[in-house]
Amino acid sequence: MQAAMPTLSHFWAMMLFALFVSMVLGCLTRRTIPERIKYAAWSFLMFLLIGIGAAWLMYPLSR
Amino acid sequence: MNETSNETPDHDSVSQPELHEPESAAPLTSKVPSVSPLSIALASWLIPGLGHFLLGRTVRAIVFFVAVGGLATVGIQARGNVFPPRTADPFGTLGFWADAASGIFYLLARVLERAGPDVSRAAGDYGTRFIAAAGIVNVIAIFDAYEIASGRRS
Repeated sequence: MQAAMPTLSHFWAMMLFALFVSMVLGCLTRRTIPERIKYAAWSFLMFLLIGIGAAWLMYPLSR
Repeated sequence: MNETSNETPDHDSVSQPELHEPESAAPLTSKVPSVSPLSIALASWLIPGLGHFLLGRTVRAIVFFVAVGGLATVGIQARGNVFPPRTADPFGTLGFWADAASGIFYLLARVLERAGPDVSRAAGDYGTRFIAAAGIVNVIAIFDAYEIASGRRS
């Protein structure tokens, strides 16, 4: 079971976390299904953009 | 799906009149099934989404089950640390409470964790966070279901 799981990269961890949390946020904060999907998609994109942006901001510190 | 038929009428009949009328719990409570909010909270903890399902919020139930189950499954597969009930470390105790909030997924993680955690790799460390996040998301679900069952939220 565990051998079938590919290595969880930083990017995939961020993607999966953003996906699941965005689903919950969309469901909690909006009432109709189209609004929920729209909010979840927006939240997912913001998670990714802010995560990648923060990674690039920290990039000089790693060198 | 089922959710639209359940929640859209609430929106029409409850939220819009509140714009003009004083806030009243009566319209909300009249639509809530006569199940104890504590029972709903307990059901939500045990199986994520079950409380919402019992309240007729099918879409929310599915979303919470998938989100909590997904986070916990990724965490278990990545061999994250599943904290036992008794640890000497205070952070371990906090970790236990966060993990245990995911209900049946915590119990499954304890049973399935045969190889033990591997936090020497980054993936294992992420796994620890994912399992804890599953519990935290389920805490939100528990409070949401409790509020709906109490008639304070539609």
